[in-house]
Amino acid sequence: MINLRGVNKKYRNTYALKNVNLDIQKGEFVFLVGSSGAGKSTLMKLLYREELPTSGNVYVSGVDVSKLPDNKVPYLRRNMGIIFQDYKLLEKQTIYDNVAFVIRALGVSSREVDNRVKSALKIVNLAHKMKSKPNELSGGEQQRVGIARAIVNGPSLLIADEPTGNLDPQTSLEIMEILDKINSRGITVLISTHDHAMVNHFRKRVITLEAGQVIKDVQAGTYG
Amino acid sequence: MANYLENIRPKISITQYRIALRVLIETFKGIKQAGIVNIFIIGTMAAILMIFGAIFRTSMSLSSLVNELGNVLEVSVYLKSSADPNQAAEQARQLSHVKRVKIIAKENSWENMRKDMQLPNIKNPLPDTLHVRVDSQKNIKSVADNLSKQSYVEDIRYAKDISEKIRVISDISHTATVIVLGIVGFLTMFIINNTIQLVIQSRKKEIEIMRLMGVSNWFIRLPYILQGSLYGMMATIIAIIPLSFLQGYIMQVHRFLGIPNSENSYWAMIFLLFVLSMIFGALGSLLSIKNKLKT
Ligand SMILES: Nc1ncnc2c1ncn2[C@@H]1O[C@H](COP(=O)(O)OP(=O)(O)OP(=O)(O)O)[C@@H](O)[C@H]1O
Ligand SMILES: [Mg+2]
Repeated sequence: MINLRGVNKKYRNTYALKNVNLDIQKGEFVFLVGSSGAGKSTLMKLLYREELPTSGNVYVSGVDVSKLPDNKVPYLRRNMGIIFQDYKLLEKQTIYDNVAFVIRALGVSSREVDNRVKSALKIVNLAHKMKSKPNELSGGEQQRVGIARAIVNGPSLLIADEPTGNLDPQTSLEIMEILDKINSRGITVLISTHDHAMVNHFRKRVITLEAGQVIKDVQAGTYG
Repeated sequence: MANYLENIRPKISITQYRIALRVLIETFKGIKQAGIVNIFIIGTMAAILMIFGAIFRTSMSLSSLVNELGNVLEVSVYLKSSADPNQAAEQARQLSHVKRVKIIAKENSWENMRKDMQLPNIKNPLPDTLHVRVDSQKNIKSVADNLSKQSYVEDIRYAKDISEKIRVISDISHTATVIVLGIVGFLTMFIINNTIQLVIQSRKKEIEIMRLMGVSNWFIRLPYILQGSLYGMMATIIAIIPLSFLQGYIMQVHRFLGIPNSENSYWAMIFLLFVLSMIFGALGSLLSIKNKLKT
């Protein structure tokens, strides 16, 4: 699903990633950990082609993303779900519309949009809040909207950059459980986090970055 | 996931239709969001277009006036009373560029004049006249000069003077049209560009999110381009109202001067206004998209 080969990413004179080699199989659930500035966000941005590697190759589903022309980037992103620490919801739109707008732009029929939005909201237990606006929701609920939006187009890969970074432990656990549930349906999940307790609790594969390098990669691992 | 590149193939038409509908909905959302600013933009553009339309339409009428006068290829030659009209006509026919010569006997001229006016019963003061038809406008001056040198000629007259004057006016109005066209283009693009930049600025986050979620660039951009040309279209519709009054007035002048009226000029002007305002509107949007949105 994801293969990185000798990936370097340099911002002006700092290396955010140094010779990273990595393979993630279809259906895996992976935590990406490391101290601040280690390069976690950078690695994820390479996957959804928000950044290009300085050198090396980034394969997503066998396609070299770093060679994907600009006008094909939307097709890449439509097939992955991206979740952000700050949720990135449209403040003026309802929860329903926040989830719906992506697939509407793809020309999906209103009835199909309705079906898909409602089932995505059901997965994150928010079907009852679909007429609310984001500012009427708690942080955890907003992030669940973010997850619903990420899965509404049926992606095979979910990328979450510190999805629980702004949430309390209890809410974080709920979010992780939802992501785990989604993973159990066969969707590959990659999560970056600083949350030790969470990583230790779930016992999944843990990849540790430090100063742009993979220094540890263990199955059923713990943080640090 | 493995097949995501397959989506690049053309979609079926019902999907395209839905996407087009979505783009329109997004366009109207953008317009709605601009609120009161819409009135300012459309009003200003309508005023600019109206000025341009008025100058353009007037210039077209002046053109047809010049053409009409240019078609008067006749030189009136007043003969000396001593000259024999038939002989003079024969000599005039020998000159180059002369197509036809018609003798107007002074008795006929006098009769015509008396029909039109109350005249005292005096001796006919008019000279015999030749109407000399020249083959083309550009030769009229040389023929006239030539004729005035002939011994039998008392005086000549032709439409040159007035035709020249109107030609100058017409040239000026053509130049004005072009200059105003440039100004219209610039102002339209300037206004639309600034407006759309504001709209994009206020929707920056939304656009960013759409981009990250895999919404196509053109889907994000097209609504702004449409918004720009819709402003142009609405401004034109408003500008047409005063311009149709101008058209009525111009038609009266045409009728009065007996110059063939030009219904077509009116439609040409309207067509031109629509095309120009919509193209410049779209270009203004494109400009702000270039400035404000990354690919
Ligand atoms: N756009 C940028 N321009 C310049 N340097 C950047 C840019 N983005 C990231 N960096 C640098 O690259 C390095 C890695 O940053 P990155 O955001 O990937 O870290 P991170 O592991 O996500 O950190 P955090 O846990 O704080 O989110 C840092 O040194 C950062 O300063
Ligand atoms: Mg980060």
